[in-house]
Amino acid sequence: MEIIQVVGIGLMSTILILVLKEQKPMFAFLLTAATGVLIFLLLIGKIGMVLSTLERIAESSGMEMIYLKTIFKIIGISYIAEFGAQVVRDAGQESIASKIELAGKILIMVLAVPIISIIIETVMKLLPA
Amino acid sequence: MTWLSDWLREIILVVLLAAFVELLLPSKSMERYARLVLSLLILLTLLNPVVSLLKGDAAKELSLAMSQQEKTGGMFTSTGKGTDSLEKILADGQKLAQGRQEQSLKLAAEEVAGQMRDQIASEMGVRGVRVTVSLAMGKPPGGNGGDVPVISGVTVALPAAHSPSGGKGGASGAAVSQPIVIAPVEAVEVSIGGTPSAAPAQTGHTGVKGSAGESGESKEEAKLITQLLKQRWDLDPEVIHIQDQSAGDTKL
Repeated sequence: MEIIQVVGIGLMSTILILVLKEQKPMFAFLLTAATGVLIFLLLIGKIGMVLSTLERIAESSGMEMIYLKTIFKIIGISYIAEFGAQVVRDAGQESIASKIELAGKILIMVLAVPIISIIIETVMKLLPA
Repeated sequence: MTWLSDWLREIILVVLLAAFVELLLPSKSMERYARLVLSLLILLTLLNPVVSLLKGDAAKELSLAMSQQEKTGGMFTSTGKGTDSLEKILADGQKLAQGRQEQSLKLAAEEVAGQMRDQIASEMGVRGVRVTVSLAMGKPPGGNGGDVPVISGVTVALPAAHSPSGGKGGASGAAVSQPIVIAPVEAVEVSIGGTPSAAPAQTGHTGVKGSAGESGESKEEAKLITQLLKQRWDLDPEVIHIQDQSAGDTKL
């Protein structure tokens, strides 16, 4: 029952943060970030389990690993960017959070470049010169 | 027709994975971008036969392009990797060459072991011999030239129930049945049953004779095998090891 642990940690830290915010807003932010990291670390094992299962299935069915690698990269980039952006957003820096999200989006788009180039080259070869 | 099933399986898997990954994505803001890359991947998988017809293997092309992008892209990675790229490439090449050499040595060792086994079987009539050859790179016996593969060790494991006389053809059939007669199970049966003294005396006699004669003959056989391998393969007798499995069994 990890969900109870996660919700418990979240509720406790929320109460603590509300109390701390009156006295020391700086420590309240640190607690927020630490709670975020803690919840992320609790979930990272589960994400790893899902990914390793996907990897095993793909390996056993003879799927090309590069496709799987690309898909994993998408998941990784979006999770890390989202997490970082949320921590920064909690600190009240909305603009930096949006920059982090932008970086995540662009890095995901960069993954598309080799695929697009292969598809376009193939299509160009199909067309008569 | 296998390519069709492979292709279909790949399409199904990629589509399933894409649907699953879309659920795994953390936020809506990334979803559009992730969906674009995923749909491009599905498109590439669909076009796989056409791409392989016109350009070669699509997956290999993609992995090559990805690795190239990883090397050149990024402001933090490009500066560091540019300087040591030649050394890295050379080291990689050396590593690859070493791996290939090890593989070819292994293949050659298996081949040599097979030939030795055939020779032992044909010349001495001993079947079921296990020969293990280890090859290593070293100087040739003449001492000149570069490194060549040299046989560094030969292990011949004699079978547990081989013909001890080393005779050819017909003799081996009768000889193989001999160890079954002197099996230790029979001796135990005799002692429990308390049958007349003739039977245990007989079995004991043959047992002693068999073990003594067998050890002597197997030693002689080992010597003969060593001689044969030495003559045929121009080997140093020190690299040849003969293991007698029947001797090992009696020790146990």
